[in-house]
Amino acid sequence: MPDGKQQVAQRLLDELAQCGVKLIASLPDNWVMDFIGAAAHDPRFKHVPVNREESAIGLCSGAYMGAMGSAALMGASGFMTVIYAITKINYSYEIPLFVMLTLRGAVGDHHKHHASNGLYLLPVLQAIDMPFHIIDRPDDIPMISRVYDHTRTMTRPMAVLLTRGLLRGEGRP
Amino acid sequence: MRYLDCFRLLAERRKGQLVVTSAGNSAQAWWHATHDTEATFYLEASMSLSSMFAAGLALAQPALKFWAFVGDGAFCMNPGMLMVERHLNVPNLTHFLVSNRVYGATSNAALPNLEHNDYAAIARGMGLERVFSFDSLAGLSEGFDAVVNANAGHSFVVLEVEPFSDTEQKLEQPPFDGPELKYRFGRNLERMSGSNVFGYRF
Repeated sequence: MPDGKQQVAQRLLDELAQCGVKLIASLPDNWVMDFIGAAAHDPRFKHVPVNREESAIGLCSGAYMGAMGSAALMGASGFMTVIYAITKINYSYEIPLFVMLTLRGAVGDHHKHHASNGLYLLPVLQAIDMPFHIIDRPDDIPMISRVYDHTRTMTRPMAVLLTRGLLRGEGRP
Repeated sequence: MRYLDCFRLLAERRKGQLVVTSAGNSAQAWWHATHDTEATFYLEASMSLSSMFAAGLALAQPALKFWAFVGDGAFCMNPGMLMVERHLNVPNLTHFLVSNRVYGATSNAALPNLEHNDYAAIARGMGLERVFSFDSLAGLSEGFDAVVNANAGHSFVVLEVEPFSDTEQKLEQPPFDGPELKYRFGRNLERMSGSNVFGYRF
């Protein structure tokens, strides 16, 4: 019987498959290790572990131009390193990008070193006018398809932010 | 070898490959050699992501062939790109590392450790198997077909070229806004592949 984390990972992957995502490019964050592990073994996807988060932006942007659906999966810290890549590639060329990241530094995060993400992650997203949606409970997971479609309709990047509670299968932060 | 001569040779020997250029000099040189408006994505100033962009394309379109131009300035920023390329090992991607030992797009500022960087050795150290290096036009001309058109798998080709002269730095940049380029390239790829890049859904 899968535990709560594994069940959430499976539901996330099912939702991505429903969107038409074929490529998942990822860098790890402890919160998404079950999700990454499940993606790596799911034959519906090509999972690519990348060397840095910017490479995921380049890879997923190229995949879009080749008509392949994709998701870039990363932690909040990694996202803070990709602002230039997103604004240069995805804004300048109007290339859609779907990003999944962790809502680090929020209430319930046990790691003090994510204090900066708690302070600046959401303000940075707002500063670059990048829309986002917080996925906090399993019942929110269907929003992923709507967000993914929104990136394609608007030809812009958008992110979903996964909470600790969601990824632990708890449904709370 | 001279940068423009090298790119002129590549343009002459190209056989339908789709191209992604890096920022600055490679875009200028390729535009100068081809004036390609449909089958080249001039990826400006991505700071090292042109080969990742091309790898995404190659992964998505295995029946097409792709060339990526990466300047060694960009490579210095992100040599780990080769780890991802090796992991993917897409056979339809040729990565040209254009080595002029300077940041060509920023007035030929010198690269760090420029005299000692051995890009081919770095690539081999990351497990790439098809690694080639050319420092003369004659050598490139002679070896081109065996290396680039051999269809033998993912290839990494180091091109040792001279930096742009002051006059060459003033060559025209590809005259496209981002969205225009996206649609030109994407529509051409749709025609070539039958794929639907820009499908609109409610």
